[in-house]
Amino acid sequence: MFHLLRRRLFTALPTLAAVIILSFGLMRVAPGGPFDGERPLDPATRDALMATYGLDRPLPEQIGLYLWRLAHGDFGPSLVYRDFSVTDLIAKGLPVSLTLGGWALLLAFVLGLAAGIIAAARSGTAIDRAIMFATTVLTALPSFVVGPLLALLFGLRLGWLPVSGWADGDAAHLVLPVIALALPYAGAIAKLARAGLASVLAQDHIRAARSRGLSATRILIVHALRPALVPVASYLGPAAAGLLTGAVVIETVFGLPGLGRYFVQGALNRDYPLVLGVVVIYATLIVLFNLIADLTYGWLDPRTRDA
Amino acid sequence: MTVFAAEGLTVDIGGRRIVHGIDCAIPAGRCLALVGESGSGKSQSCFAPFGLSVGVAGGSAILNGEQLVGASEARLRRLRGRDVGFVFQQPLTALTPHLTVGKMLSEAWRQAGAPRPGRAEMVAALERVGIEQAADRLDQYPHRLSGGQRQRVAIAMAIAHRPKLLVADEPTTALDAVLRADMMRLLDRLRAEEGMAMLLVSHDLASVADHADEALVLRDGRMIEAGPAPMLLRAPTSDYARALIAASPRLTDPPPPLGPVGPPLIEASGVSVSFERPGWRRGRVTAVDDAALTIAEGEALALVGRSGSGKSTLGRAIARLGPIDAGAVRFAGAPLPDRKAMRPADRAALQPVFQDPIASLDPLWRVADVIAEPLRNLQPDLDAAAVAAKVAAALAEVDLDPALADRRPAALSGGQAQRIAIARALIASPKMLLLDEATSALDTLVAGTVLDLLGRLQRTRGLSILMITHDLAVARRLCHRVAVIDAGRIIEEGPMEAVISAPRHTVTQKLVAASA
Repeated sequence: MFHLLRRRLFTALPTLAAVIILSFGLMRVAPGGPFDGERPLDPATRDALMATYGLDRPLPEQIGLYLWRLAHGDFGPSLVYRDFSVTDLIAKGLPVSLTLGGWALLLAFVLGLAAGIIAAARSGTAIDRAIMFATTVLTALPSFVVGPLLALLFGLRLGWLPVSGWADGDAAHLVLPVIALALPYAGAIAKLARAGLASVLAQDHIRAARSRGLSATRILIVHALRPALVPVASYLGPAAAGLLTGAVVIETVFGLPGLGRYFVQGALNRDYPLVLGVVVIYATLIVLFNLIADLTYGWLDPRTRDA
Repeated sequence: MTVFAAEGLTVDIGGRRIVHGIDCAIPAGRCLALVGESGSGKSQSCFAPFGLSVGVAGGSAILNGEQLVGASEARLRRLRGRDVGFVFQQPLTALTPHLTVGKMLSEAWRQAGAPRPGRAEMVAALERVGIEQAADRLDQYPHRLSGGQRQRVAIAMAIAHRPKLLVADEPTTALDAVLRADMMRLLDRLRAEEGMAMLLVSHDLASVADHADEALVLRDGRMIEAGPAPMLLRAPTSDYARALIAASPRLTDPPPPLGPVGPPLIEASGVSVSFERPGWRRGRVTAVDDAALTIAEGEALALVGRSGSGKSTLGRAIARLGPIDAGAVRFAGAPLPDRKAMRPADRAALQPVFQDPIASLDPLWRVADVIAEPLRNLQPDLDAAAVAAKVAAALAEVDLDPALADRRPAALSGGQAQRIAIARALIASPKMLLLDEATSALDTLVAGTVLDLLGRLQRTRGLSILMITHDLAVARRLCHRVAVIDAGRIIEEGPMEAVISAPRHTVTQKLVAASA
């Protein structure tokens, strides 16, 4: 446990550095540049701009400078949104993405876990088969299909909910995107929870619990659920990072001003500092959530604490 | 007063009858032993009536005047929770891994409606089953406890609600010899104190006869013999019961013959092994401390010790199958290479056979491929016909039908699987076998025949053997010399007869007493 924590913290920084350097390199290998617009700039202006942003220096020096600034909390200026720094843009987009992803994560977990438990408890029955069929459909349907369908039905047909916009975090505006984002994850969680429970329920300590006359519900919740959640936790780590940051499609479909939009536009415009800034945020969150998942194992199964 | 009675009790699994009518009655305070080899239906007979197996019970099984056969699951569940306690074979897996001992004990206490126990009550309950430092144990998770401690916790849980009947399915089989005797004495004492009836399931007639009032011998789901346990042990009327009793190894058995003994084959000295301390703490735990062993050609040495004594760690270190911190190992006069530098030829000369026969065979492979695998490295230019001939010869040598060659491990019995593991070891033409509890997972009857097979192979092939075991009586059946290991140190060594008749160290004395 202690070793794990120490090892993870020691590898986190090199991991982030590697991600940054790799992204940096990839961005520069891609054709085009930040100042290639529809109307070509005259070479003098262009050179001046390049010099201003330090893009004329050797690549290793640029990377070093970027890392140095990053270490001081400075993500640099945006090359396209001329009046904003990358920090400003992230500060605007991240709360939206975190709100959307946080609710979706919660919904996916609660929904998926409930479905998984019910399916495992009714294993082999029509209920089990129905739930498993539904989860397969949900995991197979991409969110850019589910999202517009939900918007069409609840927004346009029934008129119950708004279909677009952020409205400063108004709850009604969040309902549809959260559901559309959560459903595929809920399906995956349900499948993992059911499979985990099925394998735990076949173990000796469950038979021992049954021999003590405990109720089926108590056995399921108290004696089986925690170890059964280990595969769910290992999925939730990366999934959480993805949910909180990578809802690019859903943000686009529902017109939400989240981080994903800046990421896509930054990449299209070759806005190097913006893309790198978002990459740094994503990578940090992924490292962080994987660490949380690792720590969760210890709570789910005390035997792993000694490993 | 009769607590549990069965009349014409049958058990069907998937429409196939596996138990064909059992009659028995257990009065309060008495113990009935249900004895038979694996597959005899003994566990099914005592679990199916209570709704704890996939088997469907028929006939009649009455607990406290209440018919169990045909009762609803809800009814059976309440009966289990109120009137019966169960103890299972595997203490390592019978406790819920993520609940502390205290949480589980508290739950068991309340299962029949009793109020939540106080800490002092739970400490007393643990001390009653012989757990030391009981207050600390309450807050620990099961994996921190040894196998013996876990079985004691399981027993404390099984009797916490004061059941009228205790069903114990091979409660000592997974424990070492010294613990077995302790555990049976504990069960005897609790039964007397509580006035419980006890249904004791075992594959070893000789070891339970002292603790049971009545015994019932089962074979293939049929009652072979029944009667007062001491009488059944002394004067069995059926051949099967006689064979069961004879198979149980005893210290008074005739010693194994010793063929010509050559020069030392294995000379190990100064062997030390340590492991990193688990959890948050730093430092290392010493498992083996400055141990020395010598085994001559054609000689069988037993390395005997209790669970956790370091015997397997030492055996594996010598055979270069496990880590080693320090020490020299010479094989046939030359230093044995390090673990990573061992070549196939080095490995061939020293072949292991492990405890769990099914787990040591790849479940996806055919038996023929399992046995032939060592030849791939050792004699790669052998053609298919020659390999098949060698496999057939190896199967014949371990007394197995050559037709088994096409089966997969799942279709084998434990005894057959262990014979195949032995055949795989023999096909490499080894000079020495490392037997790591190689018969511990087998029934008495099967273990007896496997031991006889190993004895014959040892003599006909002039093999050296290093046998790792917790059971002195088993070691006595095969080995000429014995080394006793405790807490990582070899504390006594000598000819088997001498050590057994005059054990010097207290640990050896306990081991001898446990096997007597």
